[in-house]
Amino acid sequence: MSFEPKILGIACNWCTYTGADLAGTTRLQYPQNIRVVRVMCSSRINPSFIFRAFQLGADGVLVGGCHPGDCHYNTGNLYARRRLAVTKKILEFAGLEPGRFRVEWISASEGNKFAQVVTEFTGQIKALGPQTKFKIS
Amino acid sequence: MAVSFQQIEEKLKTEARRLLESGEVSLVLAWGKGYDEKHPMPYVAKCPSDADGIVFNEYCTHNPARYLVRYPRGTKIAVAVKAADSRAVVQLIQEDKVKRRDLVILGIPVYGIKNPKTGELIDGKTTCGLYNPVLYDVLIGEEVHGQPVSSPYAVLAEYEAMDRDARFAFWKKELDRCIRCYACRKACPMCYCDPCFIDQRKPRWGEKSPEPAGNLMYHLTRFHHLAGRCIDCGECSRACPVDIPLYLFHKKVAKDCEEMFGQAAGMSIEDKPVLVNFRMEDSDKILE
Amino acid sequence: MLKKTTVNQLSDLASALMEKGTLVAPVREDAGFQFREITDAKRVDLNFHNTVISPKSVFFPQTEDFVRYRTGRPMQEAEPVEPQGKPLILFGVRPCDVKSFEIMDIHFSGTGDVDPYWQARREAAAIIGYAFDLGAPAEPEEFYQTLGIGAADPEGSDIFMVRRGDDLLLKSITGKGEALLTGMGGLAGASADDEKFFDDTVAAGRDFKTRFTCVDAEVITKKLEDLFHNTDFWEKASNACLSCGVCTFACPTCYCFDICDETLFQQGTRRRVWDACMFTDFTLEASGHNPRTKVYQRLRQKINHKYSYHVRKYGVISCVGCGRCTRYCPVNIDIFSIVEEAMKA
Repeated sequence: MSFEPKILGIACNWCTYTGADLAGTTRLQYPQNIRVVRVMCSSRINPSFIFRAFQLGADGVLVGGCHPGDCHYNTGNLYARRRLAVTKKILEFAGLEPGRFRVEWISASEGNKFAQVVTEFTGQIKALGPQTKFKIS
Repeated sequence: MAVSFQQIEEKLKTEARRLLESGEVSLVLAWGKGYDEKHPMPYVAKCPSDADGIVFNEYCTHNPARYLVRYPRGTKIAVAVKAADSRAVVQLIQEDKVKRRDLVILGIPVYGIKNPKTGELIDGKTTCGLYNPVLYDVLIGEEVHGQPVSSPYAVLAEYEAMDRDARFAFWKKELDRCIRCYACRKACPMCYCDPCFIDQRKPRWGEKSPEPAGNLMYHLTRFHHLAGRCIDCGECSRACPVDIPLYLFHKKVAKDCEEMFGQAAGMSIEDKPVLVNFRMEDSDKILE
Repeated sequence: MLKKTTVNQLSDLASALMEKGTLVAPVREDAGFQFREITDAKRVDLNFHNTVISPKSVFFPQTEDFVRYRTGRPMQEAEPVEPQGKPLILFGVRPCDVKSFEIMDIHFSGTGDVDPYWQARREAAAIIGYAFDLGAPAEPEEFYQTLGIGAADPEGSDIFMVRRGDDLLLKSITGKGEALLTGMGGLAGASADDEKFFDDTVAAGRDFKTRFTCVDAEVITKKLEDLFHNTDFWEKASNACLSCGVCTFACPTCYCFDICDETLFQQGTRRRVWDACMFTDFTLEASGHNPRTKVYQRLRQKINHKYSYHVRKYGVISCVGCGRCTRYCPVNIDIFSIVEEAMKA
């Protein structure tokens, strides 16, 4: 049986989650490995969520938020951009494969982009294989 | 160094006495005598005669800025600081934990501080590499010039060049040794959260027992919490009873923050800490 | 019975011991020496002064599982973890640390309620003590002489070792030690001269100088009781204290623990982990109230517990003068000096 990755998706309510809905209503196909958690804004994301997700067995984590400048709360994603950049650097220095954590800006009208990014990301994670470094066994 | 440790000690004592006598401050944070020459201790002078207990030698590695948050807001405090320590003071002012007007900063330029465990000179390999305080009211001694410039990030090259899996194995080996004594957290001037995330139960962020899972969670999260705030004094690593090189990871995060956001921690009281700030022009490239 | 081997044959000795049970011995690591379970006899290293963490972790591990469970299942299905009684040989323990086991016994089995986990390991273990090197001065942090412990005290060990040049002399002290020593191959008989050397060393150990303060437990207890409300004294004592917990974890006679449930994906363990009265949330109550929020309150508690309350309750100071608290304190606090200051206050 081929490897089916477990991917955690964290999507901001106003943009990415709505964009994901759009992908659904327009019947766009994308791999079902992603499990989406909705947050009100990408800046709600505590970096500990990302660390813990990998510890709990996520093979990949994909964060989606509004484009910088379009945050529903004006500035949330601008803080998130900095914060998640640091998270990415920490994961890399700790030795986790960089391709396992990705941040994308996906707006409410970008259903296509959502499907495309998820498809691409899932493919990349499949190629990387199961995540074993952080996973608690 | 043009000024000797002995001379700095004398000048510190004089300043402390003067400040306490005039009532300008209610306490002076510096260093005092420990159980032997190689082991001085952080020291608090509260009355003029206490100033006689002040000591300054090459083993005064501790960061007196660590104790600033212990006193009620508004307490007038004189704090003796070396280079990295002064950055901690600046960072605490940036974060509004202490007000500039409540402090008299006694800046001590010094070259020659040694690690008491190893006897080695402390330089940019394990600390920020600066010799002169970045902010002070009174300069104790003379600025240090002409000493070898010690880059605080040069030591990272070896680890950045490492194969990713080898680097993971390195950190796993180091962090698995952690006994969760929390000396690192308590020695850090910037770790003042009450309660600390790791002590919370709802939600529980990491396991309490000193096993790989909880250790990784504790340390990675702590590295993140200090991003753009760590002033590279190295106290966390010196405090660790099992010698985990925490300074390496903190330096890496500090270097990345400096590169991505163009600002180093604790350099100017007008700065805002990098993670509570943003610029529209921040590049998306930092997420790649 | 007195036998001997040479220090060069240490790994042979270790291998012989490994046949008798699990061997736990000092091992050199990056941060210093630690007691570890030995799988490779060559790793045993006696070129140390003392270990970073005390050997209490052999009988009282930092993490001890009690019950394994699955969430959502009836309580009856939870599996208790049986106390470990497999034969254990604890090798290379300094006299102060050997004495610490006696003090810890008070808490884990001496008050009527027996901790089966401690007890099982304690009963299954043979302790091979090791005299301090009387040729080298004691470390500045050590003060076991103050607590009445000699640098070469064999009491409490089953077998006691003394180094003589390149030889290692091993003497059985208890019946358990005698049985162990008899059953071991590869050891030479010791001469009458060796016997004399051994006895002389033990005697010399009694006079071996460490940092010393004349103490009377009763006097200390009374003095500390009198000082309880002297906030100035305690604040001054705790000025430098970071309230971290290293002293507690390194100490051979600290025994506080916390019991927590660690659950992941519907299964978990109820376990105990070391706790420290120096931690801010040590006395945090369910209501949110914390009677010891200030560092001076927690430091006062620590000193009083070890040098006052423990004497009142059990007649003995809860300290063996190993000096680890001072050695590993990140801010170089000399903990016993606080007691010395209290005596003068």
